[in-house]
Amino acid sequence: MEFAWSKDDQEFRKDLVAFLESELPDDWQEISREGPGSDAQAEFSLGFCAALAERGWLTPHWPTEYGGNAAPSWSHAVLGEELWSRGEPRGPQYMNVNWIGPTIMEHGSDEQKALHLPAISEGRVLWCQGFSEPEAGSDLVALRTSAIADGDDYIINGSKIWTSYANHADYCFLLVRSDPESSRHHGLSVILLPMDSEGIEIREIPSVVGKRYFHELFFTDVRVPRSCLLGEEGEGWKVVSYSLQYERVGAPRYARATVTLDRLAELARQKGLLDDPTVAEKLGRARAACEAARVLSYRVIDQRAHGLPPSADTNVARIAGTRVDKLVGDLALELTGSSGLEAGTFANANFKLAMTAGVAVGATEVQLNLVASRMLGLPRE
Amino acid sequence: MDFELNPEQGALLDAAETLLSRSAGTARAEQLVALYDAGEQSADGYDHDLERALNDAGFTGVALVDGMGPLEATLLTSAVARQAGCVSFGANAIVAAQLLGRTIDGPVALADTALPGPVRFAAQAVCLLVADGEQLRIIEAPATDLVDVDSNFGYPMATLPAELLAAGDIVEGVSAHRMRALWQLAASAEAVGCMQAALSFTIEYLKNRRQFGRSIASFQAVQHRLANCAVMVESARWLCAETAAHNAPAEAAAATATHTMEAATLLFDDTHQLSGAIGFTTEHALHHWTMRLQTLKLELGGAGAHALSLARLRWTDAEG
Ligand SMILES: Cc1cc2nc3c(=O)[nH]c(=O)nc-3n(C[C@H](O)[C@H](O)[C@H](O)COP(=O)(O)OP(=O)(O)OC[C@H]3O[C@@H](n4cnc5c(N)ncnc54)[C@H](O)[C@@H]3O)c2cc1C
Repeated sequence: MEFAWSKDDQEFRKDLVAFLESELPDDWQEISREGPGSDAQAEFSLGFCAALAERGWLTPHWPTEYGGNAAPSWSHAVLGEELWSRGEPRGPQYMNVNWIGPTIMEHGSDEQKALHLPAISEGRVLWCQGFSEPEAGSDLVALRTSAIADGDDYIINGSKIWTSYANHADYCFLLVRSDPESSRHHGLSVILLPMDSEGIEIREIPSVVGKRYFHELFFTDVRVPRSCLLGEEGEGWKVVSYSLQYERVGAPRYARATVTLDRLAELARQKGLLDDPTVAEKLGRARAACEAARVLSYRVIDQRAHGLPPSADTNVARIAGTRVDKLVGDLALELTGSSGLEAGTFANANFKLAMTAGVAVGATEVQLNLVASRMLGLPRE
Repeated sequence: MDFELNPEQGALLDAAETLLSRSAGTARAEQLVALYDAGEQSADGYDHDLERALNDAGFTGVALVDGMGPLEATLLTSAVARQAGCVSFGANAIVAAQLLGRTIDGPVALADTALPGPVRFAAQAVCLLVADGEQLRIIEAPATDLVDVDSNFGYPMATLPAELLAAGDIVEGVSAHRMRALWQLAASAEAVGCMQAALSFTIEYLKNRRQFGRSIASFQAVQHRLANCAVMVESARWLCAETAAHNAPAEAAAATATHTMEAATLLFDDTHQLSGAIGFTTEHALHHWTMRLQTLKLELGGAGAHALSLARLRWTDAEG
């Protein structure tokens, strides 16, 4: 065992921080104020990611043939920490580099790799994730949106819901049922759907957590060429399982929570509250939880670095990460009082982010079920 | 001891619920927000019509009617909250009624000079009751040029300038501590109503929401969470009633507020978590009650401050 950052990773972090300090504009907080789905943030992410890409920092852990530097997985963790803790200036593009690109690398045709991977590693494309449906949330494999082969094409019908970033996306990573007779995990396929295809309608679902958070997508006879199919027809579940392992640990929530907590402590100090034992105790407990989430996250990255197969440790890390988000989000309101109820304030933004943490990317209860069955070997209910 | 409603209380609640089902409810709350967001003239996010209806029917002044008191006002405060009424009913029917011996014809806002930050209904209020250290101040017909902050936690709220707070008349013979105790009761009663409604709404939703070929409410892990919520709501509800029946003694009010605001944390977290993504949308009614819980939780410094005041009242003899 070894719990230190390598020299290379330390160098990388130093360079990255210097870059972020000079490159992230002073009004970045203002740009990100309306949340990750806003026009301002989507536009900003394109310029920002291109600048990252220029330095090879958008996809450093990717193989060189796909626009990476073949850097170890740890450099990706450094990136995730530094960017997520600054409010994720990559916007939706963190999904591209975390799991969409890697899935295309693993399951894509040469043509798909050539089309999508450079665009992702150069930071010039926005994706959204079309998995959930009104009747298929936690039970994802209940999905019904269909893509039926028709000559050289597929014809897509159905709807998706909760789709973040759909309003700006160029492509949708779409999970469909390609065999209408199939059920559950069988007969699913993944379509890399160009969002400018005819027959797609997008509706925003208004929310209490921010503007443009959720969308509903409707597909009416959307026709796409067979070349949009990722992997084998009917093997969609295998493809998506691969994606989910990357997605679930994707966002280092602990990194943002840690930075937020430091800011809250500073705020408490300014108000003369840091000597108040009730305040200090809460901060201390939250800090410890952040550290726990961090070390669990590192554990998963390390498994990946060793080329080990995905395990329930991913779910463990994910659960710990959402917990600290919640803990720190609540603490932010508690310490700022009713000022934190005002939209756009630091406390408000963190509280709202934390509100959805236990549901986005799969409900905590479902993650707990996976820990119970895969890690503890418990029987099903 | 008698935990059952007497016939007069039963009739009172029935009548109030009839009025509320007509004049309040989540559809009405949604409409108020929509008009307010659209910048509609005269729409200030406050339900003046509902308030008038409650006044005219005699509900606001119920605590001052012979044979009735703060308990009835408290039960009604919860009823208004269950129907997501956006009015300062508790501040008026409980706090103003007990402090001033009269109710106010219009919105009432409660503030504490030690707690800066936006205050519910500050811009709409025709009467401000302000705890200023040991003293209680009253400001009637305050300056009307306050602007609400941009917020979506269920109530219009605005920040009160310090000069305005200091300008009020001191109410002689009534201490700020008494006002804080009544405020703790009023906020708790409102939170109880929000929690009851949020919980039953969530239970109904989960009974009907099917995943994995069964109702989500049929999972034992989910049932335990909901049952735990019910335990907290029931304890808050009965603490509120008992405290109200005794006219909000300081220690009981602090205990009620401490426990109720802890319950509010659990109810907010679990009803949202168990509802999934739909619970965060404004197309699902849950937020009408839960977002308000966050506002109520922060009043008077929140559960932590309530607990500290309770400990002081109980074990040292300070004024809370
Ligand atoms: C902020 C946010 C962004 C999202 N972005 C996207 C996106 O871009 N693309 C996309 O496809 N989807 C997206 N989603 C959807 C997300 O994946 C789903 O919300 C999630 O999988 C849960 O599904 P559901 O909301 O339908 O909840 P349901 O499946 O209805 O479940 C409701 C609740 O029931 C409980 N529950 C469910 N099953 C069990 C069980 N077996 N045991 C115990 N309890 C259980 C859980 O508490 C759960 O939260 C997003 C969601 C959020 C909140």
